[in-house]
Amino acid sequence: MAEYDLSKTIIPYLDRHLTFPLLAHLSETNLFPPREVQIAQYELAKGTNMFTYAASLFSQINPDQEVPADFEEKMRNAVSINEKLQQEAQAILNVIENPDVAQALRQDKNQNLQYLKDNYNLTLDQIRALYTFGQYQYSYGNYSGAADYLYHFRVLSTDNELTTSAHWGKLASDILTGKWDVALEELNTLRELVDSRQPTPLVSSSSQAAIEPTLAQLHSRTWLTHWSLFVYFNHEQGRMLLLETFLSPTYLNTIQTSCPWILRYLATAAILCRKASTTNSTSTPTSSRVRNAIREVVKVIQTEEYQFQDPVTSFLKELYVEFDFEAAQRELSLAEKVVGDDFFLQEFKDDFLDNARYLISEAYCRIHQRIDIGDLSERLNLSRDEGEKWIVNLIRETRMGADAKIDLEKNVIEINRPALPIYQSVIEKTRGLAIRTQALGAALSRANGPQATQQPPRAAADGQAPAIPVN
Amino acid sequence: MSRFFRQAGDSDSDSESDEELMSSGDEAPAKPAASTAKPAMSRFLRTAQSDSSSSSSEEESDDSDDSDDEAPQKKRTGLPRASDSESDEESDEEAPVKILSASEKRLAEMEGTGKAMDNALKINDWVAISNEYDKLTRMVQKQSNVSEPIPPFYIRTLSSLETSVNNAQTKEKEAKKKMNATNAKALTAMKQKVKKALKEYEREVKLFQTDPEAFEREFSATVAPEAPAPRAPRKKARDEESGEEDETFQTVGKGGKAMQFTAEGIFKNLQAVQEARGKKNTDRAEQIRILEKLLEVAVTTYQRIRVLLALISSRFDYNSSVASHMPNELWLSAQREVDQLIAIIASDRKYSIEEVVSLEYDELAERTPADEPDGILRVRGSIISFIDRLDDEFTKSLQNIDPHGTEYVERLKDEKVLYCTICRAQEFYEKTNQAEPLGRVIMRRTEHIYSKPDAVVQALEQASEASDIKPNMTLSLQTSTSGLVHALCVHLYKTGNSLLRTRAMLSHIFHHALHNDFYSGRDMLLMSHLQESIHQADVATQILYNRTVVQLGLCAFRCGLIKEAQGTLQDIFTTQRVKELLAQGVHQQRFQVLTPEQEKAERQRQLPFHMHINTELLEAAFLVSSMLVEIPLLASIDSEEQKRKAISKPFRRLLDFADRQVFTGPPESTRDHIMQASKALQDGEWEKCRDLIQDIKIWSLMPEATAVKEMLAKRIQEQGLRTYLFTYAPHYSTLSLALLSRTFSLPLRTVTSIVSKMIWNEELAASLDQSKGVVVFHRIEHSRAQQLALSIADKVSAMVDQNEKTLDLKMGGGATWGDRADGAKGEKRGEQTQERRGRGERTRGARGGARGGRGSRFAQGLGNAQRVG
Repeated sequence: MAEYDLSKTIIPYLDRHLTFPLLAHLSETNLFPPREVQIAQYELAKGTNMFTYAASLFSQINPDQEVPADFEEKMRNAVSINEKLQQEAQAILNVIENPDVAQALRQDKNQNLQYLKDNYNLTLDQIRALYTFGQYQYSYGNYSGAADYLYHFRVLSTDNELTTSAHWGKLASDILTGKWDVALEELNTLRELVDSRQPTPLVSSSSQAAIEPTLAQLHSRTWLTHWSLFVYFNHEQGRMLLLETFLSPTYLNTIQTSCPWILRYLATAAILCRKASTTNSTSTPTSSRVRNAIREVVKVIQTEEYQFQDPVTSFLKELYVEFDFEAAQRELSLAEKVVGDDFFLQEFKDDFLDNARYLISEAYCRIHQRIDIGDLSERLNLSRDEGEKWIVNLIRETRMGADAKIDLEKNVIEINRPALPIYQSVIEKTRGLAIRTQALGAALSRANGPQATQQPPRAAADGQAPAIPVN
Repeated sequence: MSRFFRQAGDSDSDSESDEELMSSGDEAPAKPAASTAKPAMSRFLRTAQSDSSSSSSEEESDDSDDSDDEAPQKKRTGLPRASDSESDEESDEEAPVKILSASEKRLAEMEGTGKAMDNALKINDWVAISNEYDKLTRMVQKQSNVSEPIPPFYIRTLSSLETSVNNAQTKEKEAKKKMNATNAKALTAMKQKVKKALKEYEREVKLFQTDPEAFEREFSATVAPEAPAPRAPRKKARDEESGEEDETFQTVGKGGKAMQFTAEGIFKNLQAVQEARGKKNTDRAEQIRILEKLLEVAVTTYQRIRVLLALISSRFDYNSSVASHMPNELWLSAQREVDQLIAIIASDRKYSIEEVVSLEYDELAERTPADEPDGILRVRGSIISFIDRLDDEFTKSLQNIDPHGTEYVERLKDEKVLYCTICRAQEFYEKTNQAEPLGRVIMRRTEHIYSKPDAVVQALEQASEASDIKPNMTLSLQTSTSGLVHALCVHLYKTGNSLLRTRAMLSHIFHHALHNDFYSGRDMLLMSHLQESIHQADVATQILYNRTVVQLGLCAFRCGLIKEAQGTLQDIFTTQRVKELLAQGVHQQRFQVLTPEQEKAERQRQLPFHMHINTELLEAAFLVSSMLVEIPLLASIDSEEQKRKAISKPFRRLLDFADRQVFTGPPESTRDHIMQASKALQDGEWEKCRDLIQDIKIWSLMPEATAVKEMLAKRIQEQGLRTYLFTYAPHYSTLSLALLSRTFSLPLRTVTSIVSKMIWNEELAASLDQSKGVVVFHRIEHSRAQQLALSIADKVSAMVDQNEKTLDLKMGGGATWGDRADGAKGEKRGEQTQERRGRGERTRGARGGARGGRGSRFAQGLGNAQRVG
């Protein structure tokens, strides 16, 4: 199963600290020799300021060797730097936490700076100390502290680059402390920040300079995609949000161009959200994107088949492109293992299996008129009795309740799906026409009418104008 | 015979050593200074000389052959020559060559050409005759230069030619089958020439015609006295034949003995040549000769660079007209000289040739690197333009040579040396860090390899690697051709020149397509967004774009991606001007006549034959994929109106045409095959369809032909099944899956999968009965009123669509005043929708529907090509 493990592909797109949980997970799954994982952990820790952790890892790997002496020294160094930085930061924190100041601060950052400078003699350089200290705290693993400092820094600083960096740092800290709500918020702001960055024309042939920001944007989107996996697969509403985000054109493009392996998570999320797509009873309205998620995802999987393929995606492909139920079942049992071993997906293994079965039986029922229960149960990897129960539930839950009947004598399900009456299809076809024609008329009158009398009707027209497809 | 050859050779080497003595004597004063440069140069010169002398020796031996053969049958050829008696006698005993006098030799030569003319006359090849005649005239003129009388042979040839020209023309008029254009042209040209010559030698001809014997006697009388003095004229003849330079030097230095070419005078001479350059009456050939001589005496590196620069450009000047191409020998020597120039600069980094030299310098003064401020001597000049010109001339010559002759193949072999030169230039620019010309030279290199199969690229690369000057990127370093092309293209992507980037991108995509890497090619094409801007590009780039798209379509076809292949090739085939768009032939315009300039421009754009993409193969691929897409679709729709909507118009047209035919014979052309196959597919006879398709001969041109045929057979089975289901579903209430699987020899699983897919996509109103293993059809017949209701609903919605489009157009057209009405807001909104739409398009494109919004863009590009064309 190691060949389906994505850790190695994903790690380059993660922060050093974000990788620790991944490696910890790997050491549990036994996909790789434990010693190798340990060495990797040690190598990782060596680059941070978490010396005690690194030292303990070292002694685990080499039980018979002394821990190198420079760890001690580095540790002492680190402590002294920490103290120094803390003092600097504390000075500012004292000022900011003063209630007077908190009240005086406004939206405008420049004004705030001026205010702080006038009254408390704080300069931009001093504020930067907040950032440095936050970063330092992060580097030795005090994530919640880091999140705090970075937050304060971001509020005050006007330096674009550092603010962005602080955003990323805050997101990482929130992820590592497990505050998913906060992390989600942070993720959304960061996403806005990335997306709002000067949307440069994508014409590659215009000039050299134009390429760079586009490339940078693609780069940060790729990173964001990977980091967001932590949030989306831990937050309650995460899967839906994941579909919403990843299926938006920009991110779908990002995935297709730079990281097709994310398709596994996209496919899994689509399968997990199946309920949302079939039953519309949930209070939160889902967008059409989420509702049609599976169809969309299947399309993407088909196009990117040459770049990326794993049991999860091939399951969907076999089911919805080839309609080969046997192969789908085979892939499903593989996918089950893959999902179980995946760091992000392990929690959802049962859910995944459940939903995947639903998908199979739904497709199966739609195509077949008479189904042998035993056969269907086999398709679903279930025993006969279990299968029957399952099917009854399925019929009850889904909309085909009226069409399907179980014939226990012959042990088959009969599905009678009456064809769509022609009246229905005529109604469907003519539904939007009236509104569209109205919109046309409004647009016409706006274009022709004299300018003076135009005011009131235009307001109405503006509301409808987007209904006209521009092409 | 062998004795003759040997002896001819002997005497030749004699004379050559003579000449070497002479030339070394010439060079003696310059020798010490030029010692470094000496070997390469003299070698070069010597090869030139030995070339000419060896050719003349061949001629000699040929001649002696002739005389040997002809001697017994003097009557037939009727060539009583002054020297005949002597040479015949002596040729049997001793060395005949020594005895042959200069004039005799000339005579022999003339007879040789005469004979060639006779031969050409027999096969009616007027081009050859014209050439030979020109040669003959030149010889005669030379003859008159040395104040010898006009030989009767010439006069006789002239008069006989006149009659044969007239004969040929009368025959031509009567003949049903015309000769080809070039031949006919040569014939008329010949007629003119003969007429002119006849006028010139009117007196002699008259004399000859009245009394040929007397005329000849008179001639031999004038020539005879010279015969006994073999040594001196021989020498003179040598001079004339081998070193034409000598002769011209005499004419150059009109007053004095000859012009003095010395190291000191080089710059003066150079300047004189350069001043004469471009003037009307300058003899270009002569200039080249002067420069060659100058090169010989050039002493310092600087001098040699200067002379080489001038020499190469004057070689390129030799042909003034744009249409005709450079003679091959000239091209080859220019190529060698460029090589030489690069070698000089590469070996001595103190010298550099740059296009822009800030420092003004005296053209007439000698310079050394030591005098320069930074120790590097910069000379004004441009190697890259030489390379460009060489490459262009090469292409031009290929355009002009008949691609089916051996000459074309011979010429193609020169690509190797050209490629080497380009590689050397690349190395030079790499070392000197000149980014702009480096980009151009790399582009040239890429263009030579991107469309070639691996084996050819390997051969080219081997040649370039054999040289001592190697660029950074070679095949051995990159391991595969794809790697090499990738490296070259990546370098070009990084350059600032957008044209180079575009071309590199297209070449790279072409290369991917050639290597069956459809997905990478498609992704690159879509990501580059070239289809949006290609109609603004120059014609050559548009042609490259068309080629790339077509190649991508072929690649998709080979990979079995029928839909993609059909979609990609569709655009170009709907224009019906495939050949023109690929620059592989001029399209006959029906309603407008091209001006000569346009025609000329069109012809210049044509690709050399070896780069052509076979259009018949292309058409076969397109029609077959259209068949596989279109026939099931045709079967699936039942109402008449829907039928009018076709995916592939050209295919539909052909099919309709085939339908209308009353009798159909056995298929001959590719089209026949495909049309009959389509009909078989419509009738559900997939086996017949498969056989017909596989019988098409043109597949053999496709790499991996057997694999492609197998793929096609499989596709035909599948589409046959679909067509069958669509066509016959109304007549069945159930159909056994096992029967279907047997009929179409597909595994049961595949049949189930195909049927399931059709049910899922709601193409087929049916469902599967698992326990019985049958397909159950639920067909509902609509009543007349219902049908009408449906169609009116369709029509109404189409009308609304149409209305919206019209309004859109109108608003778009009146955007100026519409915008004023609601100001910046409307504008902004417009921008947003634009962006939204753009994004949507992008994703649609990226998602792989190669059709998407691309068709219209592409059509624009094509339209533009037409306008320019």
